[in-house]
Amino acid sequence: MPRTDLRHNDQARQGASSSMERRMSTPDSDIKVEVRNLTKYFGRLHVLDDISFNIKRGEFVCVVGPTGCGKTTFLNLLTRIYSPTRGDLFIDGESADPKKHNLAFVFQEPSAFPWLTVEKNLRFGLEIKKLAKDVIDERVEMIIKMLGLQDLRDRYPHQLSVSSEQRIIIGRAFAMHPDLLLMDEPYGQMDVKLRFFLEDEVIRLWQELGTTVVFITHNIEEAVYMAQRILILSTKPTTVKEEVVVDLPRPRRFDDPDFVAIRNYVTEKIKWW
Amino acid sequence: MNQPIVMSDMERRELLWKRIHRVLPFLSLGLLLALWVYVSQGENARFPSPGATWDRFLLIMRHPIKGLTIFGHVWASLQRVCIALICAWLFGIAFGILTGWYRKSDSLLTPLFTAFRSVPPLAWIPLITIWFGLGEFPKILLVFIGSIPAIVVNTHAGMRFVQKIYLDVGTMFNANARQKLFKIAIPSALDAIFAGIRTSTSAAWMVVLAAEMLGGKSGVGFLIIRGMDSLDMPLVLLSMIFIGLVGALLAIITQLTELLLCPWTRKQSN
Repeated sequence: MPRTDLRHNDQARQGASSSMERRMSTPDSDIKVEVRNLTKYFGRLHVLDDISFNIKRGEFVCVVGPTGCGKTTFLNLLTRIYSPTRGDLFIDGESADPKKHNLAFVFQEPSAFPWLTVEKNLRFGLEIKKLAKDVIDERVEMIIKMLGLQDLRDRYPHQLSVSSEQRIIIGRAFAMHPDLLLMDEPYGQMDVKLRFFLEDEVIRLWQELGTTVVFITHNIEEAVYMAQRILILSTKPTTVKEEVVVDLPRPRRFDDPDFVAIRNYVTEKIKWW
Repeated sequence: MNQPIVMSDMERRELLWKRIHRVLPFLSLGLLLALWVYVSQGENARFPSPGATWDRFLLIMRHPIKGLTIFGHVWASLQRVCIALICAWLFGIAFGILTGWYRKSDSLLTPLFTAFRSVPPLAWIPLITIWFGLGEFPKILLVFIGSIPAIVVNTHAGMRFVQKIYLDVGTMFNANARQKLFKIAIPSALDAIFAGIRTSTSAAWMVVLAAEMLGGKSGVGFLIIRGMDSLDMPLVLLSMIFIGLVGALLAIITQLTELLLCPWTRKQSN
């Protein structure tokens, strides 16, 4: 059942220009995000090697890979915190530009602003974008309701539990109605129960808002539980080793034999020893 | 239901110590008073007794010095401190943000400021006296000089070390430079700025005494010099007590203001 889709193309490695032409020649309105030949060197250190893949509109993609494989570098390239050495990221066919496109990011570390209340944290990104006040009100109300934060709206982050704080950040990201939402191991530091709870919450938000999500994790079970498609990264220099489509019905069950089969398959592929 | 509380010896000892810790501050206060009474005993004691100090308090309330009771003098000192502090905060916070946030102005201005702040404020007294005489302005200027370093250094540090993740959130939401400064950097530096406000307030209260010793007709510093000149030690001690009380009061007020203006700095209680 897992589908392999290796995209090694030596010609594309020669440079971005040839791949650009190829991109232009195959317009596809269903593709939201297009990553082409993304390559990154830090000095001589080759971190990312020719990563290419597409993400469909409203798709939920999980990215898994061995420890230290450059997942964070990969994400920082997508958000434009770093510039790629070669290759590019396209959103709706245009080179991704934070000025034009809406990128949202859920960091691994708690990143709610301690000086703002829950509600003001949720409003922050929308106010930065200078949206109309009634639009902001409406979106924030909706997110507060969906996340069940009504009673906490005037609290400060330090008064909340770690999981509630992470929910603010997730809410803040979804409230942007982003073109692309990137999540970097958002549940890395949480216990199993909270993890299950928040995984379902993200799935619900995603289903209701139709956001395109890239979710990075080192937890294979989590990836199989959430993703429509899993990208497996290799060790450094990192490239996409394989894509696995997960077409199990939701809500998924951890003990479903199909689920276990996919999980085992991905685990097998991720092994680098 | 009155169930007996089960406790080990160790727990009982812990509880005992907890109670002792609660009593200790009062004990030290009592010891200080006892020491005071002790050293002020005898005919040729060199230290005014609590009774003499209390009498001096009543006297100054009935016969003000230079037309002011002790509270009048405290108020005179406080006015100087307030004017100087407001100027120091306005200038210091602006300067700290400028040098903490913009690298170029940091390299340009911070060395100058470091040289300036390593000169103790009292070293300015001769120059300031020659330039501005002995009026009100030189005193306020001296307090200003004394309180500026704390506020600048703290604001600078707060602005320089804004956590990167907060700025990354700004980058991600495509915040422009102004939004990053006003919506992220300054709010995140507020607790550092408030630390500067606290330190500069206590520094100002110290320097105002020195400034008032230069001459003048009012202020607690003036009272101390007056007491020294006329060998009126109860007056000196009375002034010292008021200086201590007002200093403590100022510390409490700044702390409360911080809690009021920056409620998120209140630490989690459990």
